[in-house]
Amino acid sequence: MEEQDKLKLLKELLLTEEKEYADSIARKVEELSKIVHQKQELSYKVDPIIDDKLEEFVEEIPKTLGPTITEALKEEIKNSQDAVVEALFPIIGKMIKKYIAHEMRLLSENISRQTRKAFSFKSWFRRTKARAHGVTEGDLALSEYSKPRLIQMFVIEKDSGILITDYSPLSEGTIDKEMIAGMLTAIKSFVEDAFQGGDQNLELIEYELYTIHIQNFYSYYIAAVISGAYSMMFKEVLEDQILDFAQQHISRRELDNSSLFTKKLKKYFADDIV
Amino acid sequence: MTLSKKVVLLGHFGVGKTSLFRRFVDNEFSEEYKVTLGVQIKKKVVTLPDGRELSMIMWDTEGHSDSVEDTRKSYLLGSHSFIYVFDLTREETYKNLNKDLEYLRSNYKKVLIKVLGNKLDLVNEKNTTARLKELEIPFDVLTSAKTNKNVQDFLTNLAEEITV
Repeated sequence: MEEQDKLKLLKELLLTEEKEYADSIARKVEELSKIVHQKQELSYKVDPIIDDKLEEFVEEIPKTLGPTITEALKEEIKNSQDAVVEALFPIIGKMIKKYIAHEMRLLSENISRQTRKAFSFKSWFRRTKARAHGVTEGDLALSEYSKPRLIQMFVIEKDSGILITDYSPLSEGTIDKEMIAGMLTAIKSFVEDAFQGGDQNLELIEYELYTIHIQNFYSYYIAAVISGAYSMMFKEVLEDQILDFAQQHISRRELDNSSLFTKKLKKYFADDIV
Repeated sequence: MTLSKKVVLLGHFGVGKTSLFRRFVDNEFSEEYKVTLGVQIKKKVVTLPDGRELSMIMWDTEGHSDSVEDTRKSYLLGSHSFIYVFDLTREETYKNLNKDLEYLRSNYKKVLIKVLGNKLDLVNEKNTTARLKELEIPFDVLTSAKTNKNVQDFLTNLAEEITV
């Protein structure tokens, strides 16, 4: 046996086990490489682990991140209150409006039910009135409850905005009537100019619980500040009453004699309008 | 009921209409400049020599940039007096004055028009008066809203004139 063959044989005898081990490792590497490089294979192996971890993570979030997130949100809301209020305002407004409309409907139905049960001359009169106006008894009772009231009435010179006279059934307030007359005229002029409505006039201003009813005449206009439910029915009655007053009591001579005119205005509008 | 008259302040931007308005009504002055948007209204009650009280309803209008014709016309309707204010330190605020006055006189025939040069505290009165004369700029009074110079006298005279 040659020296070289002997060495080869010795090599085989000594390294066979290592070679087999190396081959097995190579096979495993190849298998792993297949798993790593093929998405489907990798997914098959890794997905269950990720799912488990995610489940664990979701379960842990409230405990670990919860306080941090809550704190961060609190801080953010505190720092940008205006922005938060601005964003929530319309949503809350709509919710409140919806809630109130729902509650009012329930209340109206309830009142209708109660009034149907009870008989009195007043309820009979209300029933007849409701039928005549095409509204439910409940709605009518509610409008009676939030009855519109005249707070103040101004007679104002149309162009100058100068107050001719005013009347308030309530005690004298601290508000400056002459400045109100001026500002109302400025608002009216601005709106009428800005929208270029030709001969159209501003007829109504609403603010929260008050409505300013404006009725225009040739050289003056009458502004009536109303609190409560300003309904179409009330508007018509008020319009008629102002027209009647204007027709009977307002003339150039009377506009110039403001103290006499004021007395007439007080007398005419002293009683409830509706 | 007291006698009421509508008085409107007119003029270019930044001539001091609002400062005069505040001096007239509240006798206050502020260095802070705020542009008037639209109009603001205040009331000044003046006692006339005959003892009657006059409510001057003062309309401080937004300044115009070129001509008084740019002022919202509905604000001028029914006025009893216009106070046309110009800035003594800025010639561009009175270079069109004669044209503006002509427009006001022809469109608001019954309205008493007063011309007032403001910011007197910032100029030499003698030189400025000479310059205005040279440019043929008519004026009724030169005032300083800051120092209150000639302001209250002007208002008292206007109140008397407006009720004649």
